[in-house]
Amino acid sequence: MQVYLPIAEMSVDALLLLGIGFGVGWLSGLFGVGGGFLMTPLLILTGIPSPVAVASGACQTLGASVSGLMSHWRRGNVDVRMGLTLLAGGVVGSVLGVQAFALLRRLGQVDLAVAFFYIVVLGAVGLLMVRESLGAMLRRGRTTPTRLHEHFWMHGLPFKVRYRKSRLYISVIPPMLAGFGIGILSAVMGVGGGFMLVPVMIYLLGMPTAVVIGTSLFQVVFVSANVTLLQAIQTGSVDVVLVLLLLAGGVSGAQFGAAMGAKLRGEQTRFLLGLLVLAVAASLLWGLVQTPVSTFVIGPAP
Amino acid sequence: MARLCLLALVVPAALPARAQPALVAELAATSVEITTGFTGGSILVFGTAARPIGATGDEILVVATGPGQPMVVRQKVRVLGFWVNGPAARFPDVPGYYAIAGTRPPWEMLPEPERQERRLGLDALPLRATGRQAPAFRAALLDLKQQEGLWAEQASPVAIAGGQLFHARLPLPATVMTGDYTVQVLLVRQARVVARQELIFRVDRVGTAASINALARQAPALYGLLCVAVAALAGWIGSILFRRG
Repeated sequence: MQVYLPIAEMSVDALLLLGIGFGVGWLSGLFGVGGGFLMTPLLILTGIPSPVAVASGACQTLGASVSGLMSHWRRGNVDVRMGLTLLAGGVVGSVLGVQAFALLRRLGQVDLAVAFFYIVVLGAVGLLMVRESLGAMLRRGRTTPTRLHEHFWMHGLPFKVRYRKSRLYISVIPPMLAGFGIGILSAVMGVGGGFMLVPVMIYLLGMPTAVVIGTSLFQVVFVSANVTLLQAIQTGSVDVVLVLLLLAGGVSGAQFGAAMGAKLRGEQTRFLLGLLVLAVAASLLWGLVQTPVSTFVIGPAP
Repeated sequence: MARLCLLALVVPAALPARAQPALVAELAATSVEITTGFTGGSILVFGTAARPIGATGDEILVVATGPGQPMVVRQKVRVLGFWVNGPAARFPDVPGYYAIAGTRPPWEMLPEPERQERRLGLDALPLRATGRQAPAFRAALLDLKQQEGLWAEQASPVAIAGGQLFHARLPLPATVMTGDYTVQVLLVRQARVVARQELIFRVDRVGTAASINALARQAPALYGLLCVAVAALAGWIGSILFRRG
């Protein structure tokens, strides 16, 4: 069943988009990640132009994260003050990111920049996940002593604020910088950035795990809303039909994935996810290295 | 019918003054509508001529041209093993669509100067570039536009029935631009164009696809806000539906 995407100005098989949405939603439910980092590259591999894939990916991330944020909010797992600190950095980062994206589009280098960002980020994250989960599988049974976060140079920074829910008294600079960096990635890659924010919050900021997911969803929802709005204004490449098709598949897939994820062992799922992430990075890398069929590309002049 | 009569008046006949025009052509449909289910279409031109049409008699050429658009052609170059977009040529005015069909290929029917002057054939299109001037960019533009199905030469030749009626179907891919298209029908006799008729064809977006695209262009901020609201609502409703179901 072909459907005409009004912003991408092309017709695509609706079942394929529903399938991609379902598959990514299923994986995101299974592994407890947003899935934006798989969605955007898959859309690009299907032939959706990179600007539309990135802008619509951000909008889809927003839809996919809203229900999660609401359920965490009801359980009181959101540190609003920390969320707002991250968001302050995130908004600035996403504004700059969208400007950079528009500039890259004028220069004709969007495809390269998006692929490059994905290869570096996915490659690094995938390798870390595979290494960590392999280590966990080998060490299984042994317990490591848990302790509250250590103090290092970061804790000497000024502008300290008390985050009651996270039981922290730290400077606003590290969370703002983290939010800023993830805001940029969100604009350029069309992802929520939860897969990078969560480790930062646990290992760098030392937040208790109970509030990490809820607070990162808080940042993801508002930053991706900001990116959607800015992309719509600046590059006009958010395709609402595409977003709805992906969400329809994604929301149903996520429920199945979550049910299945409860039965799998943590380090095994992390290992599989790590391999998947590396496979996506490798296919994007191959796309850049492989000799193209035609050494010329055409497009409408910006 | 009124339209047919009007069109007939335009035709400059090489014949002595007679009631019958040298060429009468019409479009089967004067527009194509891009809906949410659009997968492509075609322009069907048909008509008749006063004298017999065929290889020995009069011949017909049909040319459709879409609205112009600025295009950029970029050459991919290898940098450190990666293929990246390198030098670019800008073509300020490129027809978004161009298709030509004839009872025979145009270069067999008309002498070269006249064919070039009337811009009949892809090689006769006036494609001027700013930036890189290398002929490879022009060749790439011609090549890629044809691959996309937006430019076509003799895709399906003009068919003749009984030496009197002719028709040609010019394919429109799903990626056609909206706007006014001109369809020219030429009557060629002994390597000269003796009659010419111009018809207008429209490509329009209609329905949901049209309103979404118009809103996104005219009020991008409002469209962005709506996208945010729609995505949030869809995500929320979806999670309720599937959790209970």
